[in-house]
Amino acid sequence: MGEFRILADFLDVLLSSHPLPVVLVGSGALPREPMPSNVTVRLPSLEELEAYAVGQWECFLLQLISSSQAEKTTNFSSSMMKVFQRGLLTQRILILSCGIVLYMCSDYRDKESPRLTESGFQFLLMDTNAQLWYIVREYITNSQDRGVSQADLISFLLELSFHVAGEAYNINTLSDPQRNMIKDFADLGLVKLQQGRKDSWFIPTKLATNLSVSLTESSSRKEVYWLIAFLAHTCMEAPLKAHDFLDCVLKYVGFVVVETNFRMYAYSTSKLHCEILRLFSRIEYQLPNLIVGAITKESLYNAFENGITAEQIISFLQQNAHPRVAERIPSVPENVCDQMRLWESDLNRVEMTLAYFYDEFPSRDIFEAACEYARERGSLLWEDSKRMRLSIKAEIHMNMREFLRAQNN
Amino acid sequence: MYSMLVTLQFSSDIPMAQFIINLNASMPTSQKFIIHILDNTHMFVQPHVAEMIRSAVADFRDANSYEKPT
Repeated sequence: MGEFRILADFLDVLLSSHPLPVVLVGSGALPREPMPSNVTVRLPSLEELEAYAVGQWECFLLQLISSSQAEKTTNFSSSMMKVFQRGLLTQRILILSCGIVLYMCSDYRDKESPRLTESGFQFLLMDTNAQLWYIVREYITNSQDRGVSQADLISFLLELSFHVAGEAYNINTLSDPQRNMIKDFADLGLVKLQQGRKDSWFIPTKLATNLSVSLTESSSRKEVYWLIAFLAHTCMEAPLKAHDFLDCVLKYVGFVVVETNFRMYAYSTSKLHCEILRLFSRIEYQLPNLIVGAITKESLYNAFENGITAEQIISFLQQNAHPRVAERIPSVPENVCDQMRLWESDLNRVEMTLAYFYDEFPSRDIFEAACEYARERGSLLWEDSKRMRLSIKAEIHMNMREFLRAQNN
Repeated sequence: MYSMLVTLQFSSDIPMAQFIINLNASMPTSQKFIIHILDNTHMFVQPHVAEMIRSAVADFRDANSYEKPT
């Protein structure tokens, strides 16, 4: 999904919610000021905030893949998890918000881990911004059921994106519905909640402030990487800190190298990355900072069976290409891409459509009329004018019967 | 007045179609499933053989792939 398409979808939601008494924030006219620093004593540094945001987001996504593998159990509010009831996870998952216990109803045995649907797999391969937008859109669409006005939600989100990342804002400047929204946003890693002695505040992270800006262009990512690397080198007096900082930022930068021999090297420590790569490749070794794998026919067939397309895998690899190979054109070797597409088309060599076959028409006129009828609806599969036989798609079978019955009278 | 038949329209590339025709020929008469061959890439088959055709095609595809001997 291109970022403009996502933005357009978001605007669609915005414009279709009525009434929309949105007062868009003008420049500098935020309804709240950052809190004074003598109150906010334990304010996290920007890099700690990044690490928090990324950690929350990954934890949230890992819930999708398997609840047993998430490192820390957090209490995601039930409203957040309900976002995934439609579409991404198989239907009818009941989630109890205490300690994230997931049960399936009716179709499955109790306590079986939830299965991702086809769109769930595709979702995992989208880039972070696209995923975030998807979640936000679903969250907004679901807000009606929870009694929150869509307009309020959208205007609050827009407001949030104009705040300064890393600054603390007092929670009592928020209305009650906004306070509930903030709790959900904290689960996603959009804000961090903290409590002082008297006040509590929220700190927007980069994820929130980037809601109105998109960071997906690979060129800007590359520049960010080199800039950070340069800064890290200059912070020689605190080498450890530079390394941690680099580590955090690298999570937003590419990490996968694909070689022409179908081997894949992913410089990442993230469990989420490992799981995503496991979707379509065979993971061979996991080292402290490196995941080694291979793209094989079996692993790809596995992915195709789960509904992932070769194009999605290729664009995922291209978007997350390690900076070292990202400059090459193409960033993923052509033979690997072509072979993936070939393997995919090999699965679809045969096409079978359920059809109804009609024979013994009483007259040529009726036969011609029936042909025309089917052709107009795009359901004519085959006709034989000489012997007056035709076959149509099974979907319009009933309509065709009605039509022929009408012809006879 | 009309005779109607529920069938499955099968379309693929030419080699695959030949493979299916061969498969049909190797079946005993009672189990032959091709109703009518339209041209060299399309044909009608009995609706219940969809799964059987898919698994035959999958076996053919597996037989065609190279597995490194371990």
